[in-house]
Amino acid sequence: MAYQLYRNTTLGNSLQESLDELIQTQQITPQLALQVLLQFDKAINTALANRVRNRVNFRGSLNTYRFCDNVWTFVLNDVEFREVTDLVKVDKVKIVPNCFCSLVGHTTECTLAVWPCLQMFLNSLTLISSDL
Amino acid sequence: MASSANSNQVPKVYRTVMEDVINEVRELFLDEGVDEQVLMELKTLWENKLMQSKAVEGFPTDEQKALQAQQQQAQQAQQTQSQTQPQQVLLPSAQQATPQQVIVQDPKIFQHMSAPGMSTAAALALPAGVAPIQQFITPQGQLLQLVRAANGAQYIIQPQQQMLQVLPQMQPGAVQAPLIQQVLTPLQGGLSQQTGVIIQPQQIVLTGNKVQQNTQAAAMAVQPEQGAAHVQPQPQPQAQAPQQQPQQTQASQQPPMVLQVDGAGDTSSEEEEEEDEYDEDEDEDKEKDGGEDGQVEEEPLNSGDDVSDEEDQELFDTENVVVCQYDKIHRSKNKWKFHLKDGIMNLNGRDYVFSKAIGDAEW
Repeated sequence: MAYQLYRNTTLGNSLQESLDELIQTQQITPQLALQVLLQFDKAINTALANRVRNRVNFRGSLNTYRFCDNVWTFVLNDVEFREVTDLVKVDKVKIVPNCFCSLVGHTTECTLAVWPCLQMFLNSLTLISSDL
Repeated sequence: MASSANSNQVPKVYRTVMEDVINEVRELFLDEGVDEQVLMELKTLWENKLMQSKAVEGFPTDEQKALQAQQQQAQQAQQTQSQTQPQQVLLPSAQQATPQQVIVQDPKIFQHMSAPGMSTAAALALPAGVAPIQQFITPQGQLLQLVRAANGAQYIIQPQQQMLQVLPQMQPGAVQAPLIQQVLTPLQGGLSQQTGVIIQPQQIVLTGNKVQQNTQAAAMAVQPEQGAAHVQPQPQPQAQAPQQQPQQTQASQQPPMVLQVDGAGDTSSEEEEEEDEYDEDEDEDKEKDGGEDGQVEEEPLNSGDDVSDEEDQELFDTENVVVCQYDKIHRSKNKWKFHLKDGIMNLNGRDYVFSKAIGDAEW
């Protein structure tokens, strides 16, 4: 199962909207649309892992951080994103790093970061193991 | 080199993903007994939405590149066509309106309905799935063909010289031919046997009788964001022309809006002055859904300071989101360090990707 977190991107949303339109005109079934999305998850995960090879640095001020349902959400202000050639400044950015399935590999970092979430994290471990 | 490596990468990566997905689900579609045409329609819808979002720069397809080349060729070439068999299909670049003489819509649906092996040929006969179901002659004496495409949308194919007239269906399958009450054509020499045109439903162009205004209006209106969607009953085009002209004058006087992202630096500097106001927004719900509410409330704060820049407001419309995975998230007192990977970012309306991102932030 590949991560579904990329569905909420331009690429993913446009695909979902297109599928919705086809469902509404009854040209495809919702079941088929779901299959397409699952395929999209695989493709986007593979593409990002294999085809993208660039590094970005960013700096900003942290406005809020949240760790709920095994997902981090950060809101930063006045952020500068730097690549080798680019500089992009934004006033507010939300970062949603998915840690759902990666908890197993990065447990120590996760728990050290925010202690109060330890209990949630331990709960999630059982969920993940059953998924796997 | 002004262009960044990232913006060169993104279209390719997206293109790769799309092709992969479409190819992989082809089998699924066939297993379900869904026609290949639906798959092509999905692809087209997907591509169109991506282009409309303007999140990806210069999102090209091989077809479109060929289309652009053909379009320029077709402008010069005159092809004799029989009215019953419009063979020439002008394929436009759907992204940028080509303010040239020939204005054609994106016939990707049209292409995909043809045999899969058919390449983007300059001359396409009506594909098997598309059959002219109705032919009628406008008051101007031009022979139009109403074509019902396999996907239910109806198009009008009309021999056109230099202008594009479109009265497509807004709702495929639900609209009947009578909706298309009149197709106005620029009469330059009466019946011209020029290239046929296939129009896609999404872009409607209404042109008046005056040729000059037509040129401008159609050129403007072809641009996706500016399709003037009026379909007015005009049994007598000439009598109604004066009414149309003011509308089209307005349309033609609107210059194409080009969103400048160069001013990002200026934008942020304006924002730094309003940090205090951001603190007030902290109480707002910052959930994903609530994030949009936050954006809405920020706009009034910003719009007061903005002098004339509509572009800044448009930039604020997009919530800058980074969706990624993380290697490590570290905190020391109030200093946070982020080690992220495999992410897609949407910043200031544009999409970026990264394989690794390292960041620092102070809380």
